[in-house]
Amino acid sequence: MKLKEMLLYSEKIFKESGFYYGLKELKLKEEEPLKFERFFARLRGAVVAARETALHISASPIVRNIGELCFALYTPEGDSIVLSTGIIVHVHTMSEAIKWMIRNDYEDDPGINDGDIFSNNDPLIGDVHPTDVHTMIPIFYKGEIIGWAGGVTHEIDIGATTPGHDPIVSTSRFEDGLYLVCEKIGSNHKIHKDHRIRCQRAVRTPLYWDLDEKCRVAGCYIIRDAVLKFIDEEGIDYYKEFVREVIEDGRRIFIQRVKERLIPGRYRAVSFAAIPFKGKHPLKKASKDILMHAPMEVEITKDGKIKLSFDGASKPGYHPFNCSETAMQGGLWVLLSQVIAYDGRVNDGSYLAMEYNFPPGSWCNTKDPTASFGTPWMFLIPAYGALFPCLSRGFFARGYWEEVIAGYGPTGSMIAGGGIHTVLNIYFPVANFELSCVGLGASAIKDGLDWGYAMWNPESDQGDAEIWELLELGLPYLSRKVKPNTAGYGRYRGGSGWECIRIARNVKDFEIYLVSLCHLLGGGIFGGYPLNAGYLLRAHNTNLKEIFENKMDYPIDDEIPAERKMENLIKGEVIRNKEGVLFPTEFKDYDLIHYILFGGPGCGDPIEREPERVREDLDEKIYTKDIAEKVFGVVAKEVNGKFIVDLESTNERRKKIREERRKKSISFEEFKKIELKKLKSLPEHVREMFKESFELSPRYKKEF
Amino acid sequence: MGYIVSIDTGGTMTDTFVVDEKGRFYIGKAKTTPENETVGFLNSLRDAFKRGNIPFEEGVRAVEIVTYAGTTLINKLLTRKLEGPVGVIITAGFEDILRFGRGVQSYLDYPYKERLHAVSHHYDEPLVPLHLIKGVRERIDFMGSDFIPLYERDVIDAVDYFLRNNVKAICVCFLFSYRNPQHELEAEAIIKDQLSKRKVEIPVYLSSRHNPIRGELPRLNTLLVEVTCARGLNEQVKIMRNTLKELGAKGEIRIITSYGTSISPDSEWLVSALISGPVGGIMGSKFVADLLGLKNVACTDVGGTSFDVGLITEGHYTITTEPRIARLLLTIPAIVMDSIGAGCGTFIRLDPATDKVLLGPDSAGAKIGTCYPEAKLETPTITDCNLLLGYLNPDYFLGGDVKLDVERAKVYVEKEVAKKLSISVEKASFGIYELVNQIMKDYLYAQILGLGFAPENYVLISYGGGGPLHVAGYTEGLNFQDVLIPTWAPAFSAFGCACADFAIRFDESVDLILEPDFSNSDFVFAYLSMAWGRLMERIREEFRRSGFDEEKIIFIPYVRMQYRGMLDDLEVNAYGINSGEEMIKLAERFDVLFERIFARAAKSKEAGYIITKAQMIGNYPTVKPVIPEEKEAPFKVESALKGRRKIYWKDEWWSASVYEMDLLKPGAEIKGPSIIEAPATTFLIPHGYKAYLDKYRIFHLGRE
Repeated sequence: MKLKEMLLYSEKIFKESGFYYGLKELKLKEEEPLKFERFFARLRGAVVAARETALHISASPIVRNIGELCFALYTPEGDSIVLSTGIIVHVHTMSEAIKWMIRNDYEDDPGINDGDIFSNNDPLIGDVHPTDVHTMIPIFYKGEIIGWAGGVTHEIDIGATTPGHDPIVSTSRFEDGLYLVCEKIGSNHKIHKDHRIRCQRAVRTPLYWDLDEKCRVAGCYIIRDAVLKFIDEEGIDYYKEFVREVIEDGRRIFIQRVKERLIPGRYRAVSFAAIPFKGKHPLKKASKDILMHAPMEVEITKDGKIKLSFDGASKPGYHPFNCSETAMQGGLWVLLSQVIAYDGRVNDGSYLAMEYNFPPGSWCNTKDPTASFGTPWMFLIPAYGALFPCLSRGFFARGYWEEVIAGYGPTGSMIAGGGIHTVLNIYFPVANFELSCVGLGASAIKDGLDWGYAMWNPESDQGDAEIWELLELGLPYLSRKVKPNTAGYGRYRGGSGWECIRIARNVKDFEIYLVSLCHLLGGGIFGGYPLNAGYLLRAHNTNLKEIFENKMDYPIDDEIPAERKMENLIKGEVIRNKEGVLFPTEFKDYDLIHYILFGGPGCGDPIEREPERVREDLDEKIYTKDIAEKVFGVVAKEVNGKFIVDLESTNERRKKIREERRKKSISFEEFKKIELKKLKSLPEHVREMFKESFELSPRYKKEF
Repeated sequence: MGYIVSIDTGGTMTDTFVVDEKGRFYIGKAKTTPENETVGFLNSLRDAFKRGNIPFEEGVRAVEIVTYAGTTLINKLLTRKLEGPVGVIITAGFEDILRFGRGVQSYLDYPYKERLHAVSHHYDEPLVPLHLIKGVRERIDFMGSDFIPLYERDVIDAVDYFLRNNVKAICVCFLFSYRNPQHELEAEAIIKDQLSKRKVEIPVYLSSRHNPIRGELPRLNTLLVEVTCARGLNEQVKIMRNTLKELGAKGEIRIITSYGTSISPDSEWLVSALISGPVGGIMGSKFVADLLGLKNVACTDVGGTSFDVGLITEGHYTITTEPRIARLLLTIPAIVMDSIGAGCGTFIRLDPATDKVLLGPDSAGAKIGTCYPEAKLETPTITDCNLLLGYLNPDYFLGGDVKLDVERAKVYVEKEVAKKLSISVEKASFGIYELVNQIMKDYLYAQILGLGFAPENYVLISYGGGGPLHVAGYTEGLNFQDVLIPTWAPAFSAFGCACADFAIRFDESVDLILEPDFSNSDFVFAYLSMAWGRLMERIREEFRRSGFDEEKIIFIPYVRMQYRGMLDDLEVNAYGINSGEEMIKLAERFDVLFERIFARAAKSKEAGYIITKAQMIGNYPTVKPVIPEEKEAPFKVESALKGRRKIYWKDEWWSASVYEMDLLKPGAEIKGPSIIEAPATTFLIPHGYKAYLDKYRIFHLGRE
């Protein structure tokens, strides 16, 4: 049977029977459950080993230190069987790429032969963004194709119009950099020379490209060898049957887990993301303010299925934040693997246990082949901010309070750029990944994790300043400090965020760009508050040289923005605003840049937080005294640097807050009236957003 | 007659290994006494002498060397029973460094699924509370140049605050002090001046003096572990030393380091003894490897809670300089040993929703399993399975000191595993036995693969109480050249400690770029020579303090280097590199090593090299144990036969011969199915296998 026929058969029989490959019974598992488990461990061991070995070959700090790589084994038709650790986002993206090749008759032209190597990074086929590059090899046994091995790494640069891995100014595909569209890049187990030359000349960091590619190919071959060893020992028939059962088993485990942890019903939440580009983007067509709309609906069915829909989403645009369908699936997977599938079988079985609706033509299923897909995370991260709160309502209702997560902080601010170091006379990049450490939302039994979470990779790492400064030569740190009041308020607070101040030193032709979401994201849960909003703060033409020489005070934090510490301590041009984006801007010696790393949202009403916990927060500078009093209703005074809670005043204050709330409350009818009135005078970008949603979804319009 | 004694103080038991000049050895055990470890040690030593029929007083007087290893420090660290309070002075703006834990410290030591499961991540309490960390304004940049001068006033204020809070020591850690210690030295002078003015005598520690290594968090962590935890070891060991002296022992006592040597308790850097216990096995393996002329050895240790793997490749074990211990990032040299939570005491559970088998990660520890009625456990362990399969003798566990209840184990394995999976108890037990072996095997295989080798390149050594029981299982299908099981397997780690060199090692970060054309090799060599000189002086100082003749020290210089651009450095022996011209030789040594270890990766010399660290080992010649050679002659195994027992192996019950290990003589060849029993371990030889006992009393396990 040709691969295309196999693929069609597999899809048909699943549709008809509801079981993967029509497997109503899992014979191998039922006969020998422990052997089954053992063999699964063995295949998992092979892909994990592939990743561990390949790690050492890569040169990129993103791959090596942050672990942005992943390997997987697939069936001949491209269904994933087992996956290594790492960026689990890609459990399904490579699967789609393999299927795309099959559907497009690659078996006939360019041919799929033993020793061939393929590569892809096109999100319209199967990927998140071009900077995630796939390498895939077919696995042959006695002349028959019996599977695929695939590896993916996150590149440090992909040759886009701006340096780095997450461009912000691209407006179309033609500014995204290098695209590989399911290309055959090697044969006879060797990468083609022309491919290597082409790619190395297409990116700013050719050495990293080359080593990362070697790393992916090496990993694929480790998997292939392990599979062939497995077949030699257990027989080809066992292998074929086994991998089908593993996928069907994955589907069943996922459903079991959903039944165990969640309650059937319809869960809804909405998220937005702002692009304040008006008057800033150099291209006229992109110079406008845009609000992205992501209305999420999660339906848990009685038979344990999760149906996810973004019906009502707004449209794509002239920016790099558009998402392909596979990017959305990737984002979903990385989150589900943290809350439901973390101890199951992370494979396409789980994928088959779900249904999705990413409306075609919306920002979350952009079909336009000319659209830019450079940095879909900028939309994907806020959009999925609603997923944890939706699922958490189910966890909570089922009694899994410890599994509740109120949401997460967006991984930012993202700072990037580059310049010349004037002493060493070399180019240096600014490509920091400390943004992998933001606050996680609170659970229903404890506070959220402080400064240690990234939604796209739960193994976060701030990195030592002494390491980053060796890469980002001209931008030393003046501080990395906890930022008070960034933790979303709640009975259980969100994880706290932090802030950095950095100084330009020994630089020329040095530009920085920065994205710091200025809007609110992640609304908190059960009365918990959202996390903090971002802002921009920088200083140019400062007198810091003189300050240092005279050993005068200089800013190492912006703990309370209203205090205007930076403005008070230094002379120069201090710019502070609430815009979320700094387009590439020149920084000279002794200029300062400040940015924050976000906190996470809270859970429960803050006036129910134990006063003792608020006291600890005060001692640890998670909150300031005024917030403790205003929001938590905790009255405390500072004695020798330690806080003491006045319980009596606290009780009174809390009573007063309740009274104020009662006074402020209005009936729903009144509220509705006010809101409807607001609809008539919406700002242009909000009106535009709803217009797009209504055009794409009459159903949404009707319900709205 | 002189004795070499090694002590291994565990959390519950203190093991003693006594070896005489002829290589005969005795093993003693006693309960650990944490308040004064000397008591437990003497009891354990008494037990060992008793087993060798040596009168205690006479034995002690003949002790030549005592080596000390144990988990005391780790336990102290994990339970945060630290000494203090300690004040920390740090670069202003970095006061939050400890609680940040770089984000990484929230999931260190977690198993795979919990790493994914973000809501479970948490930080341990910081080593020093926030209020005792004071920022001082200053900055040194990555090149070592001073760009913000030290603000003396800040130092004085900090000292003032510390003294009001009764600190017992002050630690100083500034950014890039490993590059240029100037500011730390200036701060030290101010602190000392302040202390003497106030007539206070407390020690001051500088991160640059004791540990000039890049990475501010690991550097500070390491310094704080030394000051708040490891210093105390010095007192424990000195009590032992004095007690031994009083009892008439001539010999001295030395502490085992994480990097596989022994050092004097007078050392100023005892943090290097943080993981002294487990490295013993590797050193023991190295000793055996040298004895038998083996180059590549896989060292495997099956204990009650974990399975540890270390590799000796081309006669050397790998050293990491950035180990992660007790959930802390540290910078001390340590033998690379990887460990998974799968040991004999590991608990077995089934997931209630999916019936998936879950092993551990927790274990029964001293409670053994459900077969030990006194512990009243109801969750079965691997040991329960081993008992039900007939591998363990219920009346000979720990030499009969502990009686095991087969029926009780059967009840719980049936209830918790077999019934739920609808299979028989023996099938369930064997399935679990195979599953745990598979996990160990995959893990072992991955480590070997990770170095670019295959099992065919290695000889395996198995030790630890559970090693001989599982070795046939976890080596099945991996074609090791030979599989060795020393008869002293349960005390192999203690034996290994007795084999340690008396040597001190220090590292210093240098980060030198070696150009691809070697045009700057004279400069690099000159810089390295100075660094080596500083390290030699520190080593001499350590030996001098304990009164050793510094003339006798043998110095061996090393470097850690990597290809420029890459991120993993390797340790290269720099012995015989005496000039700039010879730097080419050093690079060649690195090339060879790199190619060997990352066989699948390409070398990447185009961009030159980076020498990350200069290192120096000072070795002091000392006494070592001798493994006695017995006569190897055909041996009638029947004389050691104790009886027969039914054992279950691969779907069948077999009648196995049971032998007493001590009664077997070199030359004995035992065919499976057989069981060889000793008080502290049981060796399983399954059907189809045979074992040969050689002249050193090491078994060789192979296929019939």
